[in-house]
Amino acid sequence: MRTTSAILSKIFTQRFYIQNTGFFLVLFYLLFGVVNGANLLAYHKGLMLGFLGNYTFLVLVLLLWTSYALKCVGFMLKTFQLQGYDFLYPTMGSIAKPARRIIWLRLHTAIYMPVLVYVAIALVIAVQQGYYPQAVIIAVVNIANCIWPLALYERKLEQPDVIFFTGHLQRWINRHFTKPPVLFFLYELFTNFPRRIVSTKLFSAGVLWLTFLIMARGDYFDLRGLQLGVMISVLSHMQLMVHHRAFDDTYLNFMENLPVSLFTHYMRLVGVYVITFLPEMIIITANAYTKTTPWGLITVFCTALSLMILFRTLLFFPKMNPEVHVRYTMLTSFIVLFMILGHYEWPAVLLLQTASAIIFFTKYRTYEPYIETGS
Amino acid sequence: MPDPVIALHAVKKNYQDVPILDIARLELPAGIYWLQGENGAGKTTCMKVMAGLIPFKGEILLQGKVSSREHPVQFRRLINYAEAEPLYPSFLTGRDLLELYLNTKGGNPEEIRAISEKLGVHIFVNNPVSSYSSGMLKKLSLLLAFTGTPALILLDEPLITIDTRALAVLYDLIREYSAKGVSFCITSHQPLDEEELTVTGTLKVAHKNITLS
Repeated sequence: MRTTSAILSKIFTQRFYIQNTGFFLVLFYLLFGVVNGANLLAYHKGLMLGFLGNYTFLVLVLLLWTSYALKCVGFMLKTFQLQGYDFLYPTMGSIAKPARRIIWLRLHTAIYMPVLVYVAIALVIAVQQGYYPQAVIIAVVNIANCIWPLALYERKLEQPDVIFFTGHLQRWINRHFTKPPVLFFLYELFTNFPRRIVSTKLFSAGVLWLTFLIMARGDYFDLRGLQLGVMISVLSHMQLMVHHRAFDDTYLNFMENLPVSLFTHYMRLVGVYVITFLPEMIIITANAYTKTTPWGLITVFCTALSLMILFRTLLFFPKMNPEVHVRYTMLTSFIVLFMILGHYEWPAVLLLQTASAIIFFTKYRTYEPYIETGS
Repeated sequence: MPDPVIALHAVKKNYQDVPILDIARLELPAGIYWLQGENGAGKTTCMKVMAGLIPFKGEILLQGKVSSREHPVQFRRLINYAEAEPLYPSFLTGRDLLELYLNTKGGNPEEIRAISEKLGVHIFVNNPVSSYSSGMLKKLSLLLAFTGTPALILLDEPLITIDTRALAVLYDLIREYSAKGVSFCITSHQPLDEEELTVTGTLKVAHKNITLS
């Protein structure tokens, strides 16, 4: 019969490495693929001496290792919340606490192992070269990174409903703050699909950063150039829009029985995208407020939000699957792009807003999800 | 003669090209109705149509004057619905939902708080629904169905998954609200307890139509 550790290793450790194969391949390439094989040892020794000899660099490296520890913790805790993994509560809960702590430690160190291996080599170098204080700091931080997660795993076992790190904070928020419907979709993304929202936002921020970089390199600023970047940023949100429709279809059907006017429903939809695009609006304002007028910024924001709202309302056509949706959004983007190039930004905004409102007010009450029969 | 609490006129509902409901006319006076039908006959679809959850052809009138087409907001204020298998976003708490219903449907929060305590919902109302069992979810959805000032409450399979104490509370609530003039339409494969409830009539869903007997 296999041991408990072996079975749990299959559930946690093996799944972790399989799920993160891509991540480790990229990491492996960055650490070992970018340098000539003959210089590999010297390169890594240089890297280690670099962070051993500079405290700022060392702090950065420690933060990177701790962020990896957080990734490990997130994976372990999320496993408990997955459908079909409920059996972990009664089984793990039946193990005596001291034995369970050892199991947690084994599982956590197994997925934290890549860092521990690198740390072990760094410690040898540190001792050889006489960097004793740095060696102590590295050892303490990494031992801590192996121990503090165990308390979270124990807490998760005792309080299955706790999503945040502190159950008290979560319960306090639940008691004192009522989630408004405009935030439902964002809660869904941040609680159940954090990777999706974070990757979209990183990509979108990257597009804006590139837009400003290109204009800075060319030593010019053109509002139309910025709007082009903003349009690409908006297009990067399309997967979120399709997800938004699926979320509404699956979970918010009960809202249709509420005595809420169409206008309020429309404002909720607009609100969702205003809040979603808020980070980009802050980035744009921070980078462009010295280069354009407030009116210029308002023009950019209105164009972006009008595009987003129209792209979302297009999904109220039940047969609009993601493939067809892409075609319509690209077509709309091209038309709007030419209007922007011709300085017809506000007529474009007006057209987009009118189209969105017409689609929403005619389609909302009659919309129901379309199920493709495949025939 | 008083206006019927609900009247369906030429109501048709298709899923894609498959007709599910085709009701030429159905008028129900105030009372408690037991909606019966085989699995897949269209009971839940009928309830969702009545509750304004899914689009349909035709028109539904409440209290003889509130139209599903012309007064969509007023219509939804007068009709409440509790699903057979309720599903809510996992991160919402019972309190989030309760406050949303009270804010939109109106009604007396104290009355709802009292029902919440009777059903035992107050114990877990601050927890996210992801931590609820099916019975807890069912109790929450039943509680939500009693918010506001409805003229008609639709209960889809309310007898399943709840414990016997909650079932007794539910029968009490139906009697109490019925005495205040609220009508009920209840689907259940289990017979309704005759000692607990006096049913005004039985509705049978079959062959895309509903007949009152």
